[in-house]
Amino acid sequence: MRKGMIKATDAFERIIHWGLAISCIVLIISGLGMMYHSFSFLSIPVGGLKNLKYVHNFTGLIFIVALLFSILMWWKEAGIFKFPEDVEWIKAAGGYLWHVDNVPEVGKYNPGQKIFFLAVALFGVVMAVSGLIMWFPLSLPVVWVRTMYFLHALGFFVITPFFFVHLYLGTIGSPGSASAMFSGWVTRAWAKKQHPKWLKEMEESGKLEVYGE
Amino acid sequence: MTEKIKLCDLSKCYGCRACQVACKQWNQLPAKQTYNSGSYQNPPDLQPNNWVVIKYQEISDGNGGVKWLFRKDACMHCTDAACVKVCPSGALYYTKQGTVGIDNGKCIGCKECVAVCPFGVPKYDSKADKVSKCDMCLSRIENDMEPACVKACPTGALQFGDKAEMLKAAYKRVEVLGGDATVYGDKFVGGTHMVYILPEKVSVYDGLPEYPRVPLNVIAWKDWLKPLSLLAVGGAIAGSFLHYITHGPKTPDEDGNQVNAKGGE
Repeated sequence: MRKGMIKATDAFERIIHWGLAISCIVLIISGLGMMYHSFSFLSIPVGGLKNLKYVHNFTGLIFIVALLFSILMWWKEAGIFKFPEDVEWIKAAGGYLWHVDNVPEVGKYNPGQKIFFLAVALFGVVMAVSGLIMWFPLSLPVVWVRTMYFLHALGFFVITPFFFVHLYLGTIGSPGSASAMFSGWVTRAWAKKQHPKWLKEMEESGKLEVYGE
Repeated sequence: MTEKIKLCDLSKCYGCRACQVACKQWNQLPAKQTYNSGSYQNPPDLQPNNWVVIKYQEISDGNGGVKWLFRKDACMHCTDAACVKVCPSGALYYTKQGTVGIDNGKCIGCKECVAVCPFGVPKYDSKADKVSKCDMCLSRIENDMEPACVKACPTGALQFGDKAEMLKAAYKRVEVLGGDATVYGDKFVGGTHMVYILPEKVSVYDGLPEYPRVPLNVIAWKDWLKPLSLLAVGGAIAGSFLHYITHGPKTPDEDGNQVNAKGGE
C-alpha cells in the first residue's frame, strides 16, 4: 500500500463480493453444462452431469447467502437512484460510449453500477426462488414449476451478459478499479475520475481514510 | 423403418390389467406394497415401477345407473416431446421407431421432464434418484416384436403396427362406434405413438388433456431463451472488446500513484 491511497471498501464487503462473484462463475459454468448439450463436456472434471447438478445446487446455496448480504449491504448506496443527476448521467451514458465534455459527477456508485446492482439483486432473487423450486419441484403444481424453469433461463439471459460487462468495467475497462475489490484501497486520481462527488463528500465530512495519514 | 404406433381401442378394454402385469414382467418392475384407495384401480397413478396403469372411472350411464370407463394410461410417445426437449442429459431421446426412449444410466434425476410432460407420465424414483417411464418395450420392438402389453391383451383392444394402417383402422372403428367416439393422438404434439380410440368425448376422461401441447413457457425457455442467452453473452464480450479498442478505457487523469494506468480517453 502506498501513502495517500484511499480506502474504498471494507473487508466484509470484499468477502461478500467475492463470495457472490465466485459462486456466480461456478453457477454459470455448471449451468451451461446442463442447459446446452454442446456444453455437457463441462461436466467431465466433476465426473458427469449428475455431479454437476450437485455442484450447481450446493453452490446455489452459497450464492443465496452472499446475495442476501449484498442486498442488505448495498441497497442504500447502489439500489436507489438520485434525481436529477442520475438521469443526466444516463443521458450522457456516463461518457463511456461517446465523447462528453462534462460528465455529471457521481457519488459512490454511478447509475450504471446501480442498474447492475438492481439487475443482480432482482434476478438473483428470481434465480434463488426458481432454483429452490426446481430443486424440490414435486410438491408444487406443474404449471408453477414450468414457469420456474422459464424464469431461471430468463435470469441467466440477464445476469450472464451483465457479468461480463461488469468484469470488463471492473478491470481493463477502467484501470485502477480492481484494487477496490482486492486490497480495498484506490488512488486519489482514480476516485477523482470515477466518483468525484463521493470523494468530496467524504473529505468534507472527514470520513475519508487515507493511507499513511 | 416404417413408423409404428400402438393403437388402444378403449371400447374393447374391459379392465383386466393383463397389460399392466405383462409390462411389469417384461420390464422386471417388482411390485410394491399397495393399499386400498377406495377404487378397483391399483395403483392410484403411474409410478416409477408402474409404467402402465388401467384407470378405472365410474360415470353415469344416463339411466340412473353407473358404468365403468377404462383407460390404459402410459407414455404417449409424442413426436414433438416436451420431455426430450428439456432433458439436459440426453437420457430421453427419440428412437429410430419414432418412440421416446429412456436411457436410465444417463438420467441425472433433475425431474424437469416430470413437470413439462403434458400427460404427466414420467415419474421420479427418489430412491434411485432417477425418472422412469414406458419405453414402448424398445427391446422388443427393435426385434420386430410387439410391446408386452399388446402381446398380453386378450380382447384385441391393443394393437401395434404401421402408423398409416393403424390410423386407418382407427378411423374406421370410430365410424362403426358412432356417437361421441373419437380418435385421440394423431392431431397434436406432432402425433403420438400411442393412439386412443375413445368411445366417449375426450373431456369425459379424467386426466386426459383435451388439447395437449408442449407448454408455451417450455418453448420460450428452450427455443427462445437458450439461443438468445448465447447471443447476449457473445454480444457483451464482443461489445466490451470493441469498447476497449475504439473508445478506450476510462483512465484517471493524473498519473498520481496510479499503478496500472495505460491507454487514454
